[in-house]
Amino acid sequence: MRRVASIALHTFKESVRERVLYNLIVFALLLIGAAILFGSISVGIEQIILVNLGLSSISVFGLLMAIFIGIGLVWKEIERRSIYCVLSKPVRRAEFIVGKYFGLLLTLIVNTAIMTAGFYAALFYQKRHLSSGDLLVLEAIYFILLQLALVVGLALLFSCVSTPILSAVFTFFLYVIGNLSSDIRWFGQETGNAAVEKLTAILYYLLPNFGNFNVISQVAHGERIPGYLLLANSLYALLYATILVSAAILVFEEKEFR
Amino acid sequence: MISAGATLFSLTGRRRVQALLLVPCFLALLPLQRGIDRELATRGQIAEVLYIPSGHLLRRLSLGHEGLLANIYWTRVVQYFGRKRLGHATRFELLGPLLRITTDLDPRLVIAYRFGAIFLAEKAPGGAGQPSEALQLLRRGIVANPDYWRLWQDLGFIYYWDLKDYASAARAFQAGSERPGAAIWMRAMAATVAAAGGQIGTSRLLWSEIYRQAESESIRRSAQEHLLALQAQEEMEYLNRLLVQYRTRAGRGALTFRELVAAGLLAALPRDPSGVPYRVGPDGRAALSPGSGVDLRLLQ
Repeated sequence: MRRVASIALHTFKESVRERVLYNLIVFALLLIGAAILFGSISVGIEQIILVNLGLSSISVFGLLMAIFIGIGLVWKEIERRSIYCVLSKPVRRAEFIVGKYFGLLLTLIVNTAIMTAGFYAALFYQKRHLSSGDLLVLEAIYFILLQLALVVGLALLFSCVSTPILSAVFTFFLYVIGNLSSDIRWFGQETGNAAVEKLTAILYYLLPNFGNFNVISQVAHGERIPGYLLLANSLYALLYATILVSAAILVFEEKEFR
Repeated sequence: MISAGATLFSLTGRRRVQALLLVPCFLALLPLQRGIDRELATRGQIAEVLYIPSGHLLRRLSLGHEGLLANIYWTRVVQYFGRKRLGHATRFELLGPLLRITTDLDPRLVIAYRFGAIFLAEKAPGGAGQPSEALQLLRRGIVANPDYWRLWQDLGFIYYWDLKDYASAARAFQAGSERPGAAIWMRAMAATVAAAGGQIGTSRLLWSEIYRQAESESIRRSAQEHLLALQAQEEMEYLNRLLVQYRTRAGRGALTFRELVAAGLLAALPRDPSGVPYRVGPDGRAALSPGSGVDLRLLQ
C-alpha cells in the first residue's frame, strides 16, 4: 500500500510539473469568467449559462488533462527507460500501474478543485451571495470526476499497449462512443435484425457509458440528482475503473522490456 | 501560452528584434481585415443559415453538453431577433427554427418558450407576426414542463391578444389555473376573458400582469408601450365623445381642442401618455400628433 502511495505521489508531482496543465487550467478559468460576459448578451439565462459553461469547461478541460497526461503515464517511463529503475526495486508491476492510476486521479481531483473554486468565485461575483442550492453543482462535479476516473483508466490501458498518439485517439474515440452508446443500442433496435440488435446490446453494456454521468443540464436548472443515481453511478465507475486498471495490469505484467 | 511568453522574453539580441518585427506585421492585418470586411459587406450580408437544422442531432453531437449548446442557441435567438428588430425587418425566417433547436436541446429552458413565443407572436416590426408558430412552441413547452403554469398564461395571452380567440384564451387561463402553484388571478382572468373578451379593461389587466412579471427590460418596455397605447385609445374614445358633444352644441365640428377648452368641455389641452398634445384629425376625430411617443399600431 505504501509503495502504491509513493508511486501515486511521485506521479502527482510529475504531472504537476507539466506546463500544459497550467495552460489548461488558465483556459478553463478564463472560460468560466467569460460565462459572466456571455450571460450579459443573452436574456434571462445569466446563471444557467454560468453553470452550463462552468461545468462544461471543468469537464472538457478535465478530459483533455486526463487524456494528455494519461497516455504518457506508462509509455514515458518505458521511453525514458526509468521503468528499469522502478521495477528493479521491490515494486510489483501491479502496484506500479495502480500507483500511476491514483497519481493521475489525484492530479485531476486537485485541478478540478481549483476550477471549482474558480467557478464558485464567478458565481459569487454574479449573484453577490451563495446559497445552499448552489451546492447542487458539486453533485455534477462529482459525476465529472467519475467520468474522468474512467477516462484515466482507458488512457492508462492504452498507454500500456500503444504509442501516445494512438492512445490519445483510442481514448478520445471511446469517450465519444461511450457518450453515444444508448444511440448505438437504439440503432440496433431500429434495424429489426435480431443479430444486429444483440450485437449492439452487447456493445451497449461492454462500452463505458459516459452518458450516465451527464447531469450538467439538470443541475443548471436546479434539479436534484436522485440518490439512487449517485450510488449506482459511483458503483458503476468503481467497477468499470477496476476492470480497466486490472486489464492494464494484465497487459503490463505480460510486457517484456529489452 | 505561458511557455510562448517565456520563450519570447528569453530571446536575445538580433532574435528579439526579429520577434519585434512581428508586431507591425500583426498591425498590418488590421487594415487588411477591414478592407476584406468592407468588400464582403458590399456583396450582401452573410447568408442566414442553420448549419445543423436538427436539435436532436445537435443533442447527440454535444456529448453531454447539450445544456451549454442550448444556451448558445438561445443567445443566437436573442441576437438574431434584436438585430432584425433594430433593422426594422419584417421577415424572421430563422426565428422559429432557432427556437425549435434551442428547446430540443434543452426542453426545460422555459425562458425560450416564454420569450420566444412573444418574439414570434408580436406583429412586425415588433416581432415575427407568427402567432400559430408561437402557439406550437408553447404547446411543446407545456408537454415538456407540464407543471409550469406560466406557459398556459402565455398561451392564453396569445389567443387573447394576437388571435382574438377569447374562448380559447379563457380555456388556456382556466387550464393554467389548475396547475400546481398557479397564481389565484389566473382563475379570475379566465372568467374575465370569457365574460368581457376584447374590452380595453381586460387587455389592460393582461398587459399589467405581463409588465409586473417581466424578467427582462425589453419585455417590460414592450408591455409599457402596449399599456400606453391602451391608455391613449381610452383617452381618445373619451375625447371623441366630447367632440360629438361640441358638434351638437356648436352646430359644427371643432378644428382644434382649443375650441373645446374655450367651450368649457375641457379644462386644458389634452396630452397623450407620452406628453404630446392630441390633435383633431381631418376626419374630425381625436388623433395623435406626429411627434407622439405612443404607437397605436400595437393595438391592431
